[in-house]
Amino acid sequence: MQKSAEDIALNSQIEDLKSFLRAKDLRFYSVLLEATAVVTAFDVAITLSTMRRRARASGLFPTGAKPLRIAVVGGASLRPFADLLEHFTATLAGFEVLLWIGDYDNYIFEIVDEDSELYQFNPEVVLILPSEARCRFTGTFVDPLEIQREQADTVVDDLLELCKTVHDKSGAEIVLGNFRLPPSFDPGSARFTSLSSDYAFRKYVNLQLGFRSPSFVQICDIEFLANRLGTQKAIDDRTWFESKQPFSMDLAVLVAREFAQIVKSMRQAAKKVVVLDLDNTLWGGVVGDDGLEGIEVGTTSPRGEAYRHFQQYLLSLTERGVLLAVCSKNDHDKAVEPFLKLPEMVLRLSDIVNFKANWEPKSENIRQIATELNLGLDSFVFVDDNPAEIDIVKQFVPEVTCIWVGDDPSFFASMLQDSRLFEFRSVTKEDLGRVDLYRQEAKRQELQSTATDMGAYLSSLQMVADVSSFASIDCPRIAQLINKSNQFNLTTRRRTEAEVHDIASSPDKSAFIVRLQDRFGDHGLIAVVIGQVAGKDFIVDTWLMSCRVLKRQVEEITMNEIVRRAKENGCDRVVGVYRPTAKNGMVKELYPRFGFATIESSNDETRFGLDIDAYNEIETKIRIQEVTHGTK
Amino acid sequence: MEQSEVLGRMQRVFDNVFLDEVTVTPELSAKDVEEWDSLIHVSLVLAVEKEFGVRFRVGEVESVKNLGEWANLIAGRISK
Repeated sequence: MQKSAEDIALNSQIEDLKSFLRAKDLRFYSVLLEATAVVTAFDVAITLSTMRRRARASGLFPTGAKPLRIAVVGGASLRPFADLLEHFTATLAGFEVLLWIGDYDNYIFEIVDEDSELYQFNPEVVLILPSEARCRFTGTFVDPLEIQREQADTVVDDLLELCKTVHDKSGAEIVLGNFRLPPSFDPGSARFTSLSSDYAFRKYVNLQLGFRSPSFVQICDIEFLANRLGTQKAIDDRTWFESKQPFSMDLAVLVAREFAQIVKSMRQAAKKVVVLDLDNTLWGGVVGDDGLEGIEVGTTSPRGEAYRHFQQYLLSLTERGVLLAVCSKNDHDKAVEPFLKLPEMVLRLSDIVNFKANWEPKSENIRQIATELNLGLDSFVFVDDNPAEIDIVKQFVPEVTCIWVGDDPSFFASMLQDSRLFEFRSVTKEDLGRVDLYRQEAKRQELQSTATDMGAYLSSLQMVADVSSFASIDCPRIAQLINKSNQFNLTTRRRTEAEVHDIASSPDKSAFIVRLQDRFGDHGLIAVVIGQVAGKDFIVDTWLMSCRVLKRQVEEITMNEIVRRAKENGCDRVVGVYRPTAKNGMVKELYPRFGFATIESSNDETRFGLDIDAYNEIETKIRIQEVTHGTK
Repeated sequence: MEQSEVLGRMQRVFDNVFLDEVTVTPELSAKDVEEWDSLIHVSLVLAVEKEFGVRFRVGEVESVKNLGEWANLIAGRISK
């Protein structure tokens, strides 16, 4: 009964809720939603439920929406369980809830009697939690299996008949809870050699209920929820003896949440499209920098296995009719290469219905994909390992559900499997044909991007840059970056650590680095520039940058700094050099973008020039924290 | 642990479980609080158990007459 980390996080949310409630602050609702989405402890769930009821009593919630009428009947005391059920359904499924709760173990009467309060209530959804005590074989373990099975089938018949009666009389959708399995060892091997044990009997009944339930009955799979929790933790005999509680309180939370999920999924379609990032999401590493040989996927390494497993799960989603799309900050040709050339890749290009690899904001790309597939953005799920990308999509396309997978690929598949987003209630032929249909649609369409308010997004990142001259202590890291960067690298001149030290102390060189942090964390050293002073010319010998901060205006602050240093060294012209390689095509147009004109061009090298007086410092959303004004 | 200290921590639990404000005193019992029915009692017992890291035996809480006795029960359990 130790306080868990979850409790500690939730405690601070509860304090927030209390102060929002006092101030009648509407942020109350989003915090309540966040906390309810993750809570597992019963006492915290009850507290959240109390907070919600207080907020309603004080008029903080807008009311007046037509409530969903839910009735709960069953073979146990249904409160406080039903309070939780109301809380989760109202909060997670977003319904006003009007609740009617049956009496302890009175459900058969309530269902059979046409004049019962149950029908007067006029329910739209009825949850039936049948008596567990009566789901058992009443003979002995030596009775023939046929007789045992007959009795189990009768239990199933009776329950389905009850469901049908409620449905016929009220028109309500039925949610039927199935049965927990007992956690005790008793009666040993007889537990599984016949249906005489409660364990085997209930397991059989649960399976039959699943096989035979008609379309108006949804099974609330309490057996599964209890197994997931642990059968010993699912049962609390004391609360049964004292007040006839149907579940342990931890299980009560899971069942209430599951009911909310069922109600939600009755009215809301499953997601149709998963938009995937590539680098460090579908494979380990960055294909643009590490190359085809350098990325991790497949059975040669543990991480590679994890990525392969994730791809296998994604492939299985396509078999259910879910579409896969790619949205990656990459050169298109590099991004498709693993799909075409790596035998270890599970996903092939033909599994991807829409492939966007470019340097535009992901929010725009996702809008584009939605237009091309002609599907609503609310049926999209976006998966990325980079929290900044998740954030931009959340901000600009809030309809899209985002999953941040983090940095351990062994969890990627299970994160999607537990997301509840791809659960089809029935798979139709149409679902399966959809994959082909959309692939064709995507090929037909080619549309222009619309503009996004990037300025607002960049401001929201609260970026702070640190620009400083080469210092000894940084030289190892500078050398590493110089030797690793391929894509945003204008000249791809490699240097040893000793050479970097020489540059740092050379009087005719002006070299600097940029560090960047934003509200998601510190990106560390992300750009390196080496300038060479040659009379009135300031020659940019080296300019490279980490691609993860591309289009964050680091290019702009770097250019501002280059011009500033050129002036400081008495130059009147900046000379930019571009030396093409197989990987640096993305910076071919960098200098022209900043207003440079071509001086001379050959196959190996293009030199551009910029008159310093003609340059206006570019405004950016990045705050420069500290500029070391070296005089070199 | 003193009774007063136990009651102080019980106040926090009460604040989270009850809709209305309930001031914890040694003499307080269920009949003094309109909201405190047998159903909210279940939540209360489990929340108190979690707060103090104790587990009551079957029927044990029902036998206490007021919060003072309940606090003594908890204090006795913790000191063991």
